[in-house]
Amino acid sequence: MKLFNASHLEVKKDLIQDFETHPYEVGWADECIFFIAVENVSGSNSVLAAAVEISHDGVHWVAEGTISEPIMTKGLHFLRVKHFGNWLRLHCRITGNNPVFRLNIQIALKG
Amino acid sequence: MDRILLSRFQPLNRVLVHDVFNTGQNGWMEIMPNFCEAPDFEESPSIMVKHQWPPVMLSTATFRYPGSHGSLSGQYSLKVSTRPVANPYDQPPAPGSLGHAIKRLSFHHLKRKYLQFEMWFAFTAEQDKVDGTGELPGLHEASIRGFGAGWDLQERGNRYFAGVRYLNAVDGTLQKKWQFIYPSSKDDKDWAYGTDGDWCIKGVDPFWFGRRYADGRHDGYKDVVNGYQPLCYNETDCKINWQYLRLLIDTEKREYVEMQCQDKIFDLQRHPIYCVSPYDRIDGLMNPLVWVETDTQRRVFLFVDSVVISQE
Repeated sequence: MKLFNASHLEVKKDLIQDFETHPYEVGWADECIFFIAVENVSGSNSVLAAAVEISHDGVHWVAEGTISEPIMTKGLHFLRVKHFGNWLRLHCRITGNNPVFRLNIQIALKG
Repeated sequence: MDRILLSRFQPLNRVLVHDVFNTGQNGWMEIMPNFCEAPDFEESPSIMVKHQWPPVMLSTATFRYPGSHGSLSGQYSLKVSTRPVANPYDQPPAPGSLGHAIKRLSFHHLKRKYLQFEMWFAFTAEQDKVDGTGELPGLHEASIRGFGAGWDLQERGNRYFAGVRYLNAVDGTLQKKWQFIYPSSKDDKDWAYGTDGDWCIKGVDPFWFGRRYADGRHDGYKDVVNGYQPLCYNETDCKINWQYLRLLIDTEKREYVEMQCQDKIFDLQRHPIYCVSPYDRIDGLMNPLVWVETDTQRRVFLFVDSVVISQE
């Protein structure tokens, strides 16, 4: 039977500027979905863009190439990643006028 | 029980848990707030921000130069980590400066007297930047404030926490001594850093409640007698060494019995465990847990290879 595990990376946190998620070790898994649940969004022209990053040591990071569509609305959004080493995180950019995103971010892994 | 279990551990005669994290997380997860408030499952209000405790994960202990360290029993261990944030020791812990892993089971045989926690563990700091002074400025042993293991328990109407922690460093000064959970605060308000009306109760959640003092004292813990013990911290943050911990308590008399780290046994002298009134709904709760805390703006890690929880 495969292993599956989901872990939170952010819970009900109001994010107002660029951030990276906690470095997560995914070496055992074959596939990953980052779920980005927007519980609330405020400000004007508020946009969240999430980009997947990989790392060889959990300290130094490089863009993997997967980027979300611009996220502007409440609800559930996701990014899929299929080829990675031991580490994954999201680099998230927040733009707009006084933007606030209340986020739950979860990493779902299977392998 | 197989020979490996018997040779690496010293279980009591009823083994409840034998988790080897090379096979998965085995039900160990991070501690989260409770989500019971309107309008959308909001957290209970508290002065302590608990949603920043980071996720636990299966780790290969992979570092910048050597690559993957693996674990004692295979390739994966359970990693408990912090975020790179810390307050000075004498302040409440910064959100994210602690990480926990907890497993949730229950007392299914109340008449068993002894309860024991054993684990093989390793600890290190993130090898992020060379910012020390003097000899070995890129060795971050003193970034680790402490780590520990124990239980959150409620049985027969008694709610209590029992556990031990290794106080490794206080504001960058190495301490290397064992302490056990026992609250000395005046009352609930004192326990919550002088806050009136927080939902916490003296003795509950000593990891983040109980005043701390710059000399290393903590109102949630007492020093183990003769509890000084240097543990193996390798010559570089990217080398980890697996070590052994055991804690034995008496759940009939609610007393500490003894603890052991490596081959050193510490007599806990039948010190009482502090009990409070029971919480609603959770009688029978038996939650073993481990935790780690950073002392500076750097992530630190507790790796757990395997755990045995046993009763007798």
